[in-house]
Amino acid sequence: MLRRLRSTLAALLRRTRFEHDMADEIRFHLEARTSDLIAAGVDPKEAARRARIEFGSMERYREACRDARGIRPIDDLRADIAYAVRVLRRAPGFAVVATLSLALGIGANALVFSVVNALVLRPLPIEHPEQVFTVQSDGDIASQSYPNYRDLRDRNQTLAGLAAYRISPVSLEQGATAVREWGYLATGNYFDVLGIEPVVGRFFHQADDLAPGVSPYIVLSYDQWQARFGGSRDVAGTSVRVNGRPYTIIGVAPPGFRGTELFYQPAFWIPMMMQPLVEPGNPWLDRRQTFNLILVGRLKRGVSASQAETDLNTIAAQLTRDYPTINAGMRLRLTQPGLFGDMFGGPVRAFAIAVLALAGLVLLTACANLAGLLAARASDRRREVAIRMAIGAGRGRVLRQMLTESMVLATAGGIAGAVLAALGARGLTAWHAPVDLPIQFDIIVDGRVLLFSFVVTMAAGALFGLLPALHASRSDPQSSLKGEGSTRFARRRWPVRDVLVAVQVALCFVLVAGCVLAVLGLQRSVTTPLGFEPDDAAIASVDLGLAGYDQARAAAFRRRAVAMLSGVPGVKTAAFANSVPLSIDQSTTTVYPDVPSGNPRADRRSVIYYQVSPRFFDAIGTRLLEGRGFDWNEDPHVPGRAVVNQTFAKQILRGAPSIGSHFRYAASGPPIEVIGIVEDARYRSLTESPQPVVFIPMLQSPNLTTVFVVRSARPARQMAAEMRRVLATLDPSLPVYDAESLHDMLGLALFPMRAAAVALSLFGLLAIALATSGLHGLVSYAVARRTHEIGIRIAIGAGARDVLAAVLTRTAWLLGIGAVLGAGTALLSGRLLATIVSDVSPHDPVVLMATAALLVLVGFVSCWAPARRALRVSPVTALRTE
Amino acid sequence: MFRPSTDTDLKRSSATVLVLALVAESPRHGYEIGKLIESRSGGAITFNMASLYPLLYRIERRGWISGDWRERAGERRRRFYRITPEGRKVLAAQRGLWRGFVRALDQVVRFEEH
Repeated sequence: MLRRLRSTLAALLRRTRFEHDMADEIRFHLEARTSDLIAAGVDPKEAARRARIEFGSMERYREACRDARGIRPIDDLRADIAYAVRVLRRAPGFAVVATLSLALGIGANALVFSVVNALVLRPLPIEHPEQVFTVQSDGDIASQSYPNYRDLRDRNQTLAGLAAYRISPVSLEQGATAVREWGYLATGNYFDVLGIEPVVGRFFHQADDLAPGVSPYIVLSYDQWQARFGGSRDVAGTSVRVNGRPYTIIGVAPPGFRGTELFYQPAFWIPMMMQPLVEPGNPWLDRRQTFNLILVGRLKRGVSASQAETDLNTIAAQLTRDYPTINAGMRLRLTQPGLFGDMFGGPVRAFAIAVLALAGLVLLTACANLAGLLAARASDRRREVAIRMAIGAGRGRVLRQMLTESMVLATAGGIAGAVLAALGARGLTAWHAPVDLPIQFDIIVDGRVLLFSFVVTMAAGALFGLLPALHASRSDPQSSLKGEGSTRFARRRWPVRDVLVAVQVALCFVLVAGCVLAVLGLQRSVTTPLGFEPDDAAIASVDLGLAGYDQARAAAFRRRAVAMLSGVPGVKTAAFANSVPLSIDQSTTTVYPDVPSGNPRADRRSVIYYQVSPRFFDAIGTRLLEGRGFDWNEDPHVPGRAVVNQTFAKQILRGAPSIGSHFRYAASGPPIEVIGIVEDARYRSLTESPQPVVFIPMLQSPNLTTVFVVRSARPARQMAAEMRRVLATLDPSLPVYDAESLHDMLGLALFPMRAAAVALSLFGLLAIALATSGLHGLVSYAVARRTHEIGIRIAIGAGARDVLAAVLTRTAWLLGIGAVLGAGTALLSGRLLATIVSDVSPHDPVVLMATAALLVLVGFVSCWAPARRALRVSPVTALRTE
Repeated sequence: MFRPSTDTDLKRSSATVLVLALVAESPRHGYEIGKLIESRSGGAITFNMASLYPLLYRIERRGWISGDWRERAGERRRRFYRITPEGRKVLAAQRGLWRGFVRALDQVVRFEEH
């Protein structure tokens, strides 16, 4: 088989030589035969003639030889393609419209697929990525504490290595100023577990990461090396100041390696043991209850993922026994790395697949559209097909020719689509998410994407070409040539192309419904009460720890900053916190009820916490429902007070009279008194269910990461700039980041919704464009074919209404049927749409009505021109054309 | 009279073994192969030359024979076909097959009795 393929290929590649050899062989044969005949006494001239006659038809011989070499089908194909190109050149308008709609359909699919490829299919650029897994706790958070990590690393039997890392910012000094850069804190074995080699210098290893604070080493990412050091190879061994202290640059990571997250572009890696200095004021290497590391492990050779899971869970069970309050219910599983394990992986995959399905629908619409156009053309080309069949082309041959035409169109569309996808991928890669984190995707059109586009192109070509081609090849040459074919065709109740238009309208309905849903969802999420008031509020963040402040200096800085900010004209309230709701930085802590229920696992609850200053609730615009907030006179030495939200009161205080009741941070810790209750808000995402939240006074439990919040009468963006200025006057060397209006910050929370709305709106617009052109084509075609009939109708007295009825009734029916089918499909595919758009259901009558109204508009627009043409038919000209 | 040269089915099925047997003896060009088949069968088996060459190409494509051009000064170049090791195996198998077939046929129709 392989040999034959090779021989065919060789013959094709050396086509001229093959033909030349073949001719030589005949010539030799004829000469040998002639000389034999001459030797037998035949006259030379006669001998040559006889040799030729004996040999037979030269052309037949050549065909047979080509056939034997396996290149004839390819010759036929070439001829078919040449013919198809000629035919299409004769209908340039059709060719352009067809190519364009296919390019958009295939391009959309290729682009969405390249996103899926980048986020789901493409393995990490590490050695044997199939052996590497994230070790993730059950539940939605993929994190472990350092002491737990150490135990899992040292006690397991099944992993060749288990590393831990954490995404962390530092203040990196550049000249006189400091820049906040994001990178990784990673355990010493990190690079060895992943199997990465540096391009410059060396990486750190286990031996470099043994004791806290003794290994001030930094590994730069390739991009950072290029940007900051111009790619100089002398960089290894030099020093850079991180959070005000000198670190030695020991190496540079290879290009393309961005750690184990697919969406994150780190600037550096620092050994985990430097944590107390990288995150000053918050040492957690010894705190078993601080779950903030992601674990990534490589399986030992010959060990399966499930064996490793069993092994790790045996250790998890020991850890639960040893530390029941901290590790209650710990279950571990191995997940694909890249998106914080399954934490983002699940939703991202679901979203990507749903969008891919919608892109598929767009392509289907384009195919239905083209199939309709081709069917119309096919019925016009019956005569041509009949002639070809009459002169001996078989049905298969005609079918192949028609299919070749659609494949030529599909290929043109596919190439244009791949170019569009490549441009789109470049745009997406260059795009930076509107957040402080360096979020960036690496989306490229690689071999897999091209293969996908090729398969999609061929499938599309077959899909839109097959039906019309079958139809045409089934025609009866006799009746077609006599001119009967077309009338018989017209008499069929529901010609193929009508069915196709209905299908197209139905697909369009589904896509437009999705688009309407997304826009409504976005609108609703913007208008839903957030539980705080983003209007007129501005924020600015500083990391005092990175700048080398200790707690006392930090407290003094914050007091001065609030005092100065309060004095800025127009400011109503100034406050601060460790973080604000719906920002990317959300922290959790565990709480227990005041009186244990006897079941530690049920008592232990993870809640979001904020460390807040007095008047924080005023500044952010959250209503205090009961009790009071904190004040500046809070005694830092009398801990044990908290404000909680409604859900906390309901779930953890369990309906006890809220103000004055208690809870604890550790099962045996001191009781904490609730002094106030605030309204619920959205904290992590706009679509989350109500979350229990506790607010702790920052004066009592300091945190060096500080977000200042100011509510003022001035425009929030202007205020944010003013805040940056004020903070800089207090300490010019302190990097201020995320200075923006609270509204701008919400861009992050709104981002998934916005992405969905943009994607769906694009698909919806595409579908509308396709449906409009499809309907327009159908009605124009009907009017053109029926010009004669319309002429007669007008001649015998038909009015405008009758003419329009004759032309448009069928279209109206098709629209109606398509819309009903589409509405049904939209209702059935509600779950698919719900993965993309939350809060809005496709069962919503508003959605269905809006979609239907839009389709009526589409119908009107697409029929307008042909209907006018029908009305302008002059009976005299129409009858004369006959 | 029975004329196998007109019996295309019989010819088609035996063509491969005929060609393989001839090129197994020594490398030969197409014209020589055609001529040898005719002369050795006493004129009973003849091939239309126009179908002999496609047959050679087909067998070559299967890898049972291979053709090489030989050039001599002052003469037209010619293509010689030689048998490949794989072709030898096929030939041995086909020889066995035909021998058995002819013997079995003889058991039934008794060639010599009439």
